[in-house]
Amino acid sequence: MDLLVYFEWMESSLLGSIGKTYGGVYAIAQSVHLMSLVVLGGAVILTDLRLLNLTLKDIPSETVVSEAHQWFKVALVSITVTGVFMAAAVALRLYYNQFFWAKMLSLLVGVLFVFLVKRPLLCSAPHADLSPWTLKLVALASIAVWFTVAATGRWIGFS
Amino acid sequence: MNQQLLHFAQWIESLAWSRKLHESYYMYNWIESTHVLAISLFLGMLFFIDFRMLGLTMTNVPASRIAARLHTPMMIGFAVMIVTGLLLYFAVPVRVTQSIWFRIKFVLLVVAGVNAWYFNRKMRESAVHWENQDRAPKPLRVSVSMSLMLWAGVITTGRLIAYDWYDCYRVQSEFMAWAAGCLME
Repeated sequence: MDLLVYFEWMESSLLGSIGKTYGGVYAIAQSVHLMSLVVLGGAVILTDLRLLNLTLKDIPSETVVSEAHQWFKVALVSITVTGVFMAAAVALRLYYNQFFWAKMLSLLVGVLFVFLVKRPLLCSAPHADLSPWTLKLVALASIAVWFTVAATGRWIGFS
Repeated sequence: MNQQLLHFAQWIESLAWSRKLHESYYMYNWIESTHVLAISLFLGMLFFIDFRMLGLTMTNVPASRIAARLHTPMMIGFAVMIVTGLLLYFAVPVRVTQSIWFRIKFVLLVVAGVNAWYFNRKMRESAVHWENQDRAPKPLRVSVSMSLMLWAGVITTGRLIAYDWYDCYRVQSEFMAWAAGCLME
């Protein structure tokens, strides 16, 4: 299935026109996108450092994981909304950008990993009953996936 | 003052490694990527400390404990952010020195630093009285809200440096040219 037609539609939509016409609005969306990335990154790092037993060792990991996940969801919604707005303004350029597709793929992997692997596993039993190596492996995989999302996202602008 | 800043920037730009850094596609882009990742680490930790003070997360954990435990990763992020930020400045010194956004960002950074110092001092003095409460006392919440707004401003102005709306080659008001330090295009 060729997605080009959707990208053409996106760029010619009202959203695309607003992003292209009003540079200030586009720049503000970029800033909100970055701030959401900071919150999402903070939630991921907080959770993963706790699972690796590197920080917040005297706070139950269940508490850290569950509280950070609330902010992860808020940040993910904000990143998606601002990301779609930003993408609409330069949709055709993104369609031909390999880093954009790398980011979308890693983002999909990241979201699926969180909701289909990490959350179900961490909610399945008290963390003390889970193997410490399983927890550490999940944390390392999570850091690797979200690092890739952030790095490929930044490289969209370079290529 | 503007003249001295411009001379300093021109001196940096005349150094061979400043030009090499600017012209190196991979090195420059990796430094910028690392800068963004370090911002995520530093501000990610800072925002969670701030959220706790506002009663928005982990209210069942003493606030000062959250601040103390997240201090180390936050400062690692801060150190990397400053080093990579300086490298980015050294790669494009003249344009950045004459950027109104960079100048606003710098002022916001200084104010955020003073605010962080005030917050830390007040928290250390009074934490024992309120650290188990859902929210920090009002003066600290004001400081935390300022912190969030100042850092949002730093991120926004940092992003805006890339835009040339007020670059010196453009026609602009006398005040804007002075504020941006425009002495050459």
